[in-house]
Amino acid sequence: MSSEEMASQQLSAPVTIFLIALFFGGTLLMSILIGKKKENADGYMNAGHNIGFGIAATSMTATWIWASSMYASATAGYTYGISGPIHYGLWGALMILFIYPFGKRIRSVAPRAHTLAEVMYARHGRSSQLMLAGSNVLGSVISLTSNFIAGGALVAMLSPFGFSQGILVMAAGVLLYTLWSGFRASVLTDFTQAMAMLGAVAVIIPVVFFAAGGPDMFETGAQNLTPQQSNFFSSDAFLNQGAPYIAAVLAYAIGNQTIAQRLFAVRQDLIKPTFITATIGYGATVIGIGMLGVFALYLGMEPADGDVNNLIPQMATTYLGPILLCVFFIMIIGALASTADSDLAALSSIMMADVYGQNVAGRKKADPKTMLLIGRVTMIVATGAALYFASGRLNILDLLVFVGALWGALVFPVIASFYWGKVTNAAFTISTLAALAIFIPVRFEMVPMVTATAFAVDVLAVIGVGVVLGLMAFGFFGLKPALWVGSIAAIITAPFGIGFLHDYHVLSGSLVAYAVSTLVCYLMCFRNDKSFDFSLIQKRIGSFDSEDETERPAEGDTTPAR
Amino acid sequence: MSTLALTAYVLIWPIIVAFVLFFLGRGFFKDWRQARKDGRSII
Repeated sequence: MSSEEMASQQLSAPVTIFLIALFFGGTLLMSILIGKKKENADGYMNAGHNIGFGIAATSMTATWIWASSMYASATAGYTYGISGPIHYGLWGALMILFIYPFGKRIRSVAPRAHTLAEVMYARHGRSSQLMLAGSNVLGSVISLTSNFIAGGALVAMLSPFGFSQGILVMAAGVLLYTLWSGFRASVLTDFTQAMAMLGAVAVIIPVVFFAAGGPDMFETGAQNLTPQQSNFFSSDAFLNQGAPYIAAVLAYAIGNQTIAQRLFAVRQDLIKPTFITATIGYGATVIGIGMLGVFALYLGMEPADGDVNNLIPQMATTYLGPILLCVFFIMIIGALASTADSDLAALSSIMMADVYGQNVAGRKKADPKTMLLIGRVTMIVATGAALYFASGRLNILDLLVFVGALWGALVFPVIASFYWGKVTNAAFTISTLAALAIFIPVRFEMVPMVTATAFAVDVLAVIGVGVVLGLMAFGFFGLKPALWVGSIAAIITAPFGIGFLHDYHVLSGSLVAYAVSTLVCYLMCFRNDKSFDFSLIQKRIGSFDSEDETERPAEGDTTPAR
Repeated sequence: MSTLALTAYVLIWPIIVAFVLFFLGRGFFKDWRQARKDGRSII
């Protein structure tokens, strides 16, 4: 299908304006209904740490589904065939599931925290906090930019308006309803956005399936698939798409402040059902949308202008009638807006709590009114920055893969800091920096993979496999099973992985980051004879709006190891 | 995979999504009713 043919099925200008006004007008109205003349700083960041299951699970689902994940899942389906969407959506969903046991622990030691970095400040000190906060900011700005790009591309493809007009209206719409009430507005509007998205997915996939030929498509189009694409257990799909995502499961969850913010906002006893429901909701939605890419593959469809990101809009314009095309338009706007408002809320809470609250004013002297002002200014600045980056159409997803690995370097030091009293600020910082120093040349092929370096990378990657699976098991089953799982995984992987893994740069880069940070952190800490008293964290973190007297964090504030 | 299995594979996702949609909607309205009963804002 050519661009010209697609153009004939665009939404008209009045319909586009009506849909955008309906969507952003509705969300703005919801935001106004819950707005307070005097918002408080804690409410702006975490809605009082007491939100219920329905709102929390809906918000988590809506936030994790972003426009790019829909496009990427369809691209995986088109590229890797029938198992492609599974290798994108399933592992993305497990990012939510595998973090909840750690989330319960984090919440129990820091029940009134606002950001994960803030907890790192209470646990270790400034350098650990700023490393985590810096990576969170980078991730949220990238995510924000990506969502604006998706909005601009959607508007440019489906309406008479251009890309620049599209990103501008999306940015203005999201900022408008999030600015005053922050996280509270983000979470509440997520409800309507999730209903729109999930409702659209439930209808659009079967409609497109039957409009495109139904089951007959799988017989008439079977010759369009390679043997790998028609194999549900495709090794191509696993190694190129699935495995790097498995490695990223914990990294994205740890590094993403939007998840941490909801973790600190939901009522403590509802963490498990919230995260499990969001896992299923995200997985089914994103895998389902990925089926559009599989249909396109069976139908022999070529992406417009050679850009696979055009596949979903192409399928929509080809097989949906005018009403469902409007529903589709709202679905994509819902996906991008729900994530973009969460990114704005995440960025504002990092600037409020981590930068101003902990590092500029200090927690006892922090003025809630100034914090609110900082939060709102942050949203405006972040929107401006994301608009600037979006207007240049940067290759955001590549950048996100890089940030994902950066988060991978943080996973072990962060998790260990919540369970192992021997972890020190120096070990946290040095292990993360060491992991990055090794990751960058491996990921970007800056060192020639001759026998010795290739062998070293493979050995570290095999250890990384053990670390990733061991940490996953640790969250659910504790230390001993985790050690068994990690060891067995590394032993099984070694004969296959050594001599082979270094050829997969994205995968081996991430695994090396995990392995190096774990080894360095462990070696720097295991002989430490001091153990941190975790009860101090609760005393050091509290509400910014109350007058609670709490201790200030200090380096070396430890008790003897038992 | 057979045509029947592929069809089931494709259509299972919107069915799961519909179930999740129902549970999320029900959960939200429970929260909303409880907030009204307690005389406080839902968020």
